[in-house]
Amino acid sequence: MTLLQLGVDGVALGAAYALVAAGFVLALNASRAVNFAHGDMVMAGGFLAVVLAGLMKLPGIVLLPFAVALMALAGVLLAAVAYLPLRRQPVVAVFVSTIAAGIMLQNAATAWFGAAPRAGPSLVGGGVVALGPFALGRQALAVIAVAAGAYVGLHLLLARTQLGRRLRAAAQDPAMAAALGIPVTAMTLVAFALSAALAGIAGLLLSNSFFVTPTEGGNLMLKAYIAATIGGWGRLNGAALGALLIGLFETVAATLVSQVAAEALLYAALLLILLLRPQGLFGEIAGSRA
Amino acid sequence: MRFPRFVSLFALCAAAGALPSPFAMAADPVRLPVLVPVTGFLALEGTSQRNGALLALKTAPDLARPEVQDTATAPETAVNAFEKALSAGPVPAVVAPMLGTQMLALLPLAAERRVPLVTVSGTAQITEQGNPYVFRFFPGDAVVKQAHARFVVEELKATRPAVIYQTTAYGQSGRQALAEAFKRLGATVAFEEGVAPTVKDYRPVLAKALEARPDALVLHLHAGPTALAIRAAAGMAGVPRIVAGSAMHQPATAALLEPAELKGVCAESGSSPISGGAPALEAWTEAYRAAFKDDPDAFALAQYDGTMMVLAALRSGARSPEQVRDYLARSTHRGLAMTYRSDGKGNMAHDALIICFDGKDRTPRVAKRYVQGTS
Repeated sequence: MTLLQLGVDGVALGAAYALVAAGFVLALNASRAVNFAHGDMVMAGGFLAVVLAGLMKLPGIVLLPFAVALMALAGVLLAAVAYLPLRRQPVVAVFVSTIAAGIMLQNAATAWFGAAPRAGPSLVGGGVVALGPFALGRQALAVIAVAAGAYVGLHLLLARTQLGRRLRAAAQDPAMAAALGIPVTAMTLVAFALSAALAGIAGLLLSNSFFVTPTEGGNLMLKAYIAATIGGWGRLNGAALGALLIGLFETVAATLVSQVAAEALLYAALLLILLLRPQGLFGEIAGSRA
Repeated sequence: MRFPRFVSLFALCAAAGALPSPFAMAADPVRLPVLVPVTGFLALEGTSQRNGALLALKTAPDLARPEVQDTATAPETAVNAFEKALSAGPVPAVVAPMLGTQMLALLPLAAERRVPLVTVSGTAQITEQGNPYVFRFFPGDAVVKQAHARFVVEELKATRPAVIYQTTAYGQSGRQALAEAFKRLGATVAFEEGVAPTVKDYRPVLAKALEARPDALVLHLHAGPTALAIRAAAGMAGVPRIVAGSAMHQPATAALLEPAELKGVCAESGSSPISGGAPALEAWTEAYRAAFKDDPDAFALAQYDGTMMVLAALRSGARSPEQVRDYLARSTHRGLAMTYRSDGKGNMAHDALIICFDGKDRTPRVAKRYVQGTS
């Protein structure tokens, strides 16, 4: 297996992580507090994909819009339950409420689906695509394409539409946005919906090759946190880059050294970045770090 | 002043000094706490453990009734569950969690309260502390890893196995047992590397393992990682025969993979109920499926056998925890998976088997039995 093939796998993994991290940052910027349930929302997206595949017997790419829509609704529900009632309380109250929401999601998944890992649908089927001497996984290539499409779509939404401008304004200065007539609460709900929709896409993308279990949310949450720290707290592009780096460390660096050493190197790189550039590679925009 | 009739009867018994002990009330089944992790990272195995105990207790509702508590993953949760179970009155034994760290926390309490713990935990240390109140009904690493290595060397004729193990306590102890067994058998480990359970992509470590040109690939991983590794290996060229750890025998692990991906894959285990082999075992497997709408695994069967031995102790007249402990320590019990007898340290299970998949379905066939560590 060549480094190129492993590189493609690493980019595919990193691309899925990038969606996780982007969703994490969206909710962070909207609420100015870490949504600790975000990893569990990714897990929920994975289980939703398993359920949809069982009901409809269709490939993942067809199920994707259903997963996005249902997860967006779940995001609105999460915001309504775990964020909005506490938004005028100290930020720690939101941490605790999202931690509680995450645990509830985890236990609900265990109760409904059992503790065993489940495999989600593949996007366009398995097998490999031969490119000259290289055999690249069809699923890995599809994951990269879908993740890139979702990320570009998100970027266009935020940068080129009125809704995107309102979302950014509400995230940057809620008081000023409200004074200008922007419905800040509605924008917060939209941000949580987008965040959950991205979690749903990531959950579906990861659930085929890497399965889904009720307890994996914490690990995904940690990766999103590290990615956001590397890229710059609150920076969407920075978090995506950080996530890609994590994916590449987990594959390419693990091949060159070892899995354990690659993980140690990743954290060493994180510490180095924090030391040399505490604000992250792209600088911070979020008001506070938690 | 009139007293209800039962109060008068109670007073009469007490006055006569004939009030029976809670254990001696033949009409009332005794309480048997079932303390198992049904949430958290060990929920899959813990649920099997619970189901095995419940199925056993279902056979003797007149003798004992279960009281299930979830111990999740923290030692203190298990300790609290144990204290709560004992605070409600005496119990003859406790079905104790399979999570090693929880067992280690419970051992001093069991010794202090003199209550036998019946478990399927694989953690080696729990029976190495001289605690006479622990009874393990699942073969430990010393048994299954020996079988694992013997199958690789003696049956597959491999001399340069590559070992990929988990970096958890479970993985480390298994890796050590495998290394010692391969050394005894004269095989040279061509490659070995630990992988964290959070790792998703196994192609990097497999690629490195294949560079060492091994003649067998030995996995000692948890359930999800085992499936991830086998799926990754199925997409790579030049992969030798895979002999996985006991996680691969679990039907839930096989369900993650296509039958073609499983072709030629073998695994060690204490037992494999879905592989059948005996009418009684097949009847039990059907009963399990009917009760829990799921396929049983070796943990469920081992806990069933362990709980049945506790019931046998009660049937023999043992009532107090000390009497049940003595029965478990001194008796031989013919279970469905194997025959159990304590080695003096509380290790009750001494057999292992190797199962293999033929690529046609997800039901493994028994390829080799290692009875009492012989063969």
